[in-house]
Amino acid sequence: MESVETSVKTKDALASRIKKAATQNLGPEDTVLVWPNLVYIELVSMVFSLAILLFLAIVSPAPLEEMASADTTPNPTKAPWYFLGLQELLVFFDPWLAGVVLPSLIIVGLVVIPYIDTSPTGKGTYNFSDRKFAVFSFSFGLALWYLLIVIGVWFRGLDWSWYWPWDNPYLHRSATAVTLVDLEVLLQSALHLPETPLLTMGRYEPTAANLLTWGIFLAYYVVGLTIPFLFLRHFYRRFGFIRYNIMMFLFLSMMGVPLKIFLRLMANIKYILVTPWFKI
Amino acid sequence: MKKTFDLIYGFITQTQLYKSVFRHGYPSTDANRALIMFSNVILHLHPVRIRRGALKIKFTWCLGGLTFFFFILLAVTGVFLMFYYVPDTRRAYQNIKDLGTVIYFGTLFRSLHRWAAHAMVLSVWLHMTRVFMTGSYKPPREFNWVVGVILLVCTLLLSWTGYLLPWDQLALWAVTVGSKMAEASPLLGNAGPFGAEIGMTVENDVAFALLGGTMVGQSTLLRFYVLHCLALPLVATLFMAVHFWRIRKDGFSGPL
Amino acid sequence: MLKPDEKSESPSDVSRRRFFTLLSLGVGWGGLLAAFGGGAVGTLRYMFPTVRYEPPSIFKIGKPEDYGMGVDNRLKKERQIWVVRNEKGIYVMVAICRHLGCTPNWFQDQMRFRCPCHGSIYDVDGNVRGGPAPRTLWRAGISLDPVDGEIVVNFTQRQDPDPKGTPDGLIVDPVSREQPPFFLKV
Repeated sequence: MESVETSVKTKDALASRIKKAATQNLGPEDTVLVWPNLVYIELVSMVFSLAILLFLAIVSPAPLEEMASADTTPNPTKAPWYFLGLQELLVFFDPWLAGVVLPSLIIVGLVVIPYIDTSPTGKGTYNFSDRKFAVFSFSFGLALWYLLIVIGVWFRGLDWSWYWPWDNPYLHRSATAVTLVDLEVLLQSALHLPETPLLTMGRYEPTAANLLTWGIFLAYYVVGLTIPFLFLRHFYRRFGFIRYNIMMFLFLSMMGVPLKIFLRLMANIKYILVTPWFKI
Repeated sequence: MKKTFDLIYGFITQTQLYKSVFRHGYPSTDANRALIMFSNVILHLHPVRIRRGALKIKFTWCLGGLTFFFFILLAVTGVFLMFYYVPDTRRAYQNIKDLGTVIYFGTLFRSLHRWAAHAMVLSVWLHMTRVFMTGSYKPPREFNWVVGVILLVCTLLLSWTGYLLPWDQLALWAVTVGSKMAEASPLLGNAGPFGAEIGMTVENDVAFALLGGTMVGQSTLLRFYVLHCLALPLVATLFMAVHFWRIRKDGFSGPL
Repeated sequence: MLKPDEKSESPSDVSRRRFFTLLSLGVGWGGLLAAFGGGAVGTLRYMFPTVRYEPPSIFKIGKPEDYGMGVDNRLKKERQIWVVRNEKGIYVMVAICRHLGCTPNWFQDQMRFRCPCHGSIYDVDGNVRGGPAPRTLWRAGISLDPVDGEIVVNFTQRQDPDPKGTPDGLIVDPVSREQPPFFLKV
């Protein structure tokens, strides 16, 4: 049989424990039973989405084209819609870039997000004002991805030419005779650089213009990495050396995609950088 | 009327047969609602109680759960489709046509499968966006995000391997486009940068391993069939198990 | 004036509410069960294909003149039947043992069909003369095509009368079996 003092002590201890739990919102007062609250929400969402899928399945059945034949390629040949973004990139980048390197960078970029953005702000809530850079870069990437898919689905027709939605999809467009130049050719004629190769490394014999394009390509990354370091030092400090470099490399690469598309469309530049083994 | 119903119900629920299957009563009391989370294998994924704020639909939009639901739906409809499909280039197309013409509800099963596939790709993408926007990947949940990205890749691969199976023009050439990109891989592909230097030819590069040959043919169809129906679902199930486990262990990141 | 927690319902309101509650519960759960039931029925129907990738079950086997007296073995491998002719006409027996489904062999010298799996023995009428077979050999539907005079066999139309147990085996009176559509009088 407890004495009065110890029973008061245990009561106080209990009261303080409850108060602590309550401030951490871990107490049972703030929780509800999963059955029926959560389970019913799950059931309704499953039934609702199944109903929508059934409606779609009946109204728009799965298509089946003619049997596969290796000698006729349909025109246009489109990948599934979730890969059309990549297929659209093939217009502006070589296959190894558009099909392998860029998707790998996307996957790697997604994977490292939580190891770069470790600040606890905005955890568990929809927050924009405290996470401006993170939300901006992610949304930019998403928007770019969706835009490429939309173009691939609705704006590309025969021969992968540009077709507005109101254009006749069965009429071939005349092959627009736009001559595309490489950046080094542009620089060579603009700056009157000599055409003789400056170095010889087996198959690779770069001219002055070619080396200049190397410089431009590397400068894009170097300048891009240095500017926030110099002018937004708190931004750099938030991440530390390794995280900052990884993140800025990925960010600059992501920004490079619309930049190159822009250069292609506006200045008819085909390749920024040319070597016998790869062209960017 | 109600009395007889109660009488029958009361009798049935006291039999050994009933009690061996349902070890406690219907979850209409708080005690039974707690017990069922431990006794039911499907429900034991859930905790007994959750914070009131975690119920807000506008927080998660049920996207993760819907993705899992679509996966189950695809597995079930997929099994039924497998009863009539043979991954042989001489028969696959006719099998799909049979599904559309002579099998009762064949079109429905196939269309449901296809729409659920599109829905799953969409919902996994939206789920990833939601998780990012709510910062639910931040420590200590980083690893779960990585598992999620792996699941995203699995979903896309599942969709892509399934695309080939009808063996129509759309299937063949959509996969050819994809495999041509594999051929252009740096180092691993025969047509990519530095590939030829390493000795990659069209007969031993990564595209050859993917296609089971130099072109999209019978080997590719069989390979993609096995990947689509067995290998990738197993891998996805494994990673889903880790994914759900981590969510239970780390708890909802939701509003307090 | 009502207190805040006092309900303003009259008894008729309560029963009206109860009616609508039950109605919507019924419609809701009933609709769900109907949907699941419909889904189950659809799934079940899905499992029965209407087109079979098998040989046809109704086929022609030539003219009656092509077949001599006794048991003819030539269609056993291709069509799983024996064509048997006696003085009265032609009948077709299904070459599937009634025990567990193996294919018996005809022994002309013994005038018996003998099954290699468990030793069932049948005579030329299909009666069981030995072994574990529980019933006699099936006879298939047989008719004559009026246009080209060929014999038409219906493989899945089977004659299977109940046999009588006798000291000689399980016997069905052969004459009783020689009725159309399982016997062709030629």
